[in-house]
Amino acid sequence: MKKTEFLTGSFIALTLVVLLGVFFFQALFQPSYEGKVMPIDNVNLKDRVSLHYVLKNVNDASKYLATNGMRYFNNRSSVPSKTITFGKTKNLEEGSANEVTSIVVNYRGFDTLGEVTVLFISIIGLTMLIGGVKEKKLRMPSVIVRTGSKFLFPFILLFGVYIFIHGHLTPGGGFPGGAVIASGFLLLLLGLENFKFNTTVSKVIESLAGVTFVGIGLVGLFMKNSFLANFIPTGTIGFLYSAGMVALIYIVVGIKVGAELSTGVAELKEGNKND
Amino acid sequence: MISSIFFYSTAFVLFLIGLFGVLTRKNIIKILVSLSITETAVNLFLVTVGYIKNGKAPILTNTIGSIGMNNLKFVDPLPQALVLTAIVIGLGTTALSLVIAIKLYKNYGTLNITKMGGKR
Repeated sequence: MKKTEFLTGSFIALTLVVLLGVFFFQALFQPSYEGKVMPIDNVNLKDRVSLHYVLKNVNDASKYLATNGMRYFNNRSSVPSKTITFGKTKNLEEGSANEVTSIVVNYRGFDTLGEVTVLFISIIGLTMLIGGVKEKKLRMPSVIVRTGSKFLFPFILLFGVYIFIHGHLTPGGGFPGGAVIASGFLLLLLGLENFKFNTTVSKVIESLAGVTFVGIGLVGLFMKNSFLANFIPTGTIGFLYSAGMVALIYIVVGIKVGAELSTGVAELKEGNKND
Repeated sequence: MISSIFFYSTAFVLFLIGLFGVLTRKNIIKILVSLSITETAVNLFLVTVGYIKNGKAPILTNTIGSIGMNNLKFVDPLPQALVLTAIVIGLGTTALSLVIAIKLYKNYGTLNITKMGGKR
């Protein structure tokens, strides 16, 4: 009885999945849509909104749209732009060499504030729910793990800090850097059995970092009339001291995410004491 | 150069595998793994939307030199920024759901969703 029920259930699920798959793939191989050829393999960046993010002329583009109206959509390329050279071009409207960072932190900085808030809430939920789960005795770690974790921890911390300080120049940024720092703390928690992670201190650090993020946004509001607007000169593209507040915000996000994920990992290992 | 149809197909297949897992598995941990696979598929789909043939990673470096209106060498950076957000939120939801799974296991002594509920 149970077996046949399971089999019929699987069969129905498989039929559903196959039907959905046929639907997906016929959409992929449809040659045209409303008379236009689907640009699956010959996408041009000039047809995309990201053109202005890449060329860093978003303000010019919005001015152009305000004066020319709908004509903008057919000739995006006529918005004034200049050639950007690594290490030479100065005082762009946004100065980070990493385009993804420029979108995440500068053009869509408010999005990132929301994202950090979601992570914060999920870690709060984790801390609340984990209460009552008692700590299990773990097996004692071997000598290699004990010495290795002590030896490696400062280097992991340094690597995490390097990743989030160079977030506007290289791949990475606040979130990967924070995750690396949390992995260093995880190594300590697993390697040293009498290592106590102080969650109160980490929560204070995390809250201060969050307040600093909002504070930077408010400074932008008072100086440039827009929340999270860039109020520091952007400098030369490709240098460490460039990109204005992008580097500042990524440092704050790195500290916040590192403290947050370390708290989560420590709570998962130790359970909650105030149960 | 690989056609982006390959990436789209991979994303669809991964999505369907994840959906099948969510629909048929009984173990909570396996359902969460399937959900993660679905999430990865959606992220891969979004990144593929921004894929441009012969495009480079959207980071200005010394070897790339300069970009301008007439030499755009990059892939589309906007979907990558969206996926960065999606990955972090996926991490948060996965951590929270795993904790809920731990609590359910403590409460009912099983991870099988058909045996949960009713008396303890």
